[in-house]
Amino acid sequence: MKITRWISAALAVILLIAGGFYWLSMNHPSPNSAGAPQGGDFTLQSADGPRSLHDFRGKVVLLYFGYTFCPDICPTTLTLIGQALSSLSPAQQAQIQGIFVTVDPARDTAQKMKAYVRYFYPGLIGLTGNPQEIAAVARRYGVVYRKHKEKSGGYLIDHSAFIYLIGRHGKLRRTLPHGAPAAAIAAALRQLLQQP
Amino acid sequence: MLSKFASLACACALFSTAYAPAALASAASSIRISHPYVTAVAPGQTNSAAFLVLKNTSAHDHALVSASSPAAEIVQLHTHLHVNGMMEMRQVKQIPIKAHSKTMLKHGGFHIMLIHLRKPLKPGEQVPLTLTFEDGSHQKISAPVVKLSDTLKSMPMKMDRHH
Repeated sequence: MKITRWISAALAVILLIAGGFYWLSMNHPSPNSAGAPQGGDFTLQSADGPRSLHDFRGKVVLLYFGYTFCPDICPTTLTLIGQALSSLSPAQQAQIQGIFVTVDPARDTAQKMKAYVRYFYPGLIGLTGNPQEIAAVARRYGVVYRKHKEKSGGYLIDHSAFIYLIGRHGKLRRTLPHGAPAAAIAAALRQLLQQP
Repeated sequence: MLSKFASLACACALFSTAYAPAALASAASSIRISHPYVTAVAPGQTNSAAFLVLKNTSAHDHALVSASSPAAEIVQLHTHLHVNGMMEMRQVKQIPIKAHSKTMLKHGGFHIMLIHLRKPLKPGEQVPLTLTFEDGSHQKISAPVVKLSDTLKSMPMKMDRHH
């Protein structure tokens, strides 16, 4: 009698845990999820101290996620971002802040991020944080990433590669696909600059 | 007896010459390599990639199966996959070069990945590369290091228009 009670209690606990995992998996943002990312404020670390999205209120913010070990996708996109920003007038450039957030905080220190992003465009800011902070920001913007272990012992990171454009009031306004040419990035920025 | 042996030896020699890979058109001699380059790296970037065009001038399918370079500790053949909005980079066993056609190694697609560069790559430098094909034949080339911004002007990357 006592044993059956124990078993049913154990079963209930297992069911609860399984249900919890199921719920979590259902709520985990998947790359296919139809819901558009909400965006929103965040605070992460730069080499020159913490930086928050709200520090740039009044400016248009271009946000991109990647990592410095990335051999092709990130450098290519950052080069296109640099070309887009360089093509704008100095007055327009002054109203835009480009931000690169690492999805590899274990390897990308704030100092490393700073030296890296400046190569592509002098005004870019590189941000890192602890894995939980990075995950929270990524979730808010619909960024997905996961480690892929290599036989050589190292790892690469699969990641979504959208460019996020945030309006002057801190709201996510546009998402540009991977491979958007510099001219398209510049046009989207100009359009956002025209909005109050 | 001696002459019989000699002719047998001769026949053997002929046979082996005729069937040695060197006597057939090797993959390396059928593949023309053009527009090679390696992208210069940003500070702190320890990986880079080599890009080029492989043209198969023969009537047989060939494949690039490996590459090596003194510039990096590990050299691998990779491709990019765009899966559910996620860019995945994966090692591939080979890069096919079909008969009478071209395979382009380009941004966002097939590339030769240079992992753990022995020193940062600066524009103007040359990177020696040895490309090995499916029959073991190989070609040595030298690829210039170029700024990524210069390559993107002349060669638009693969576009993915899913959204």
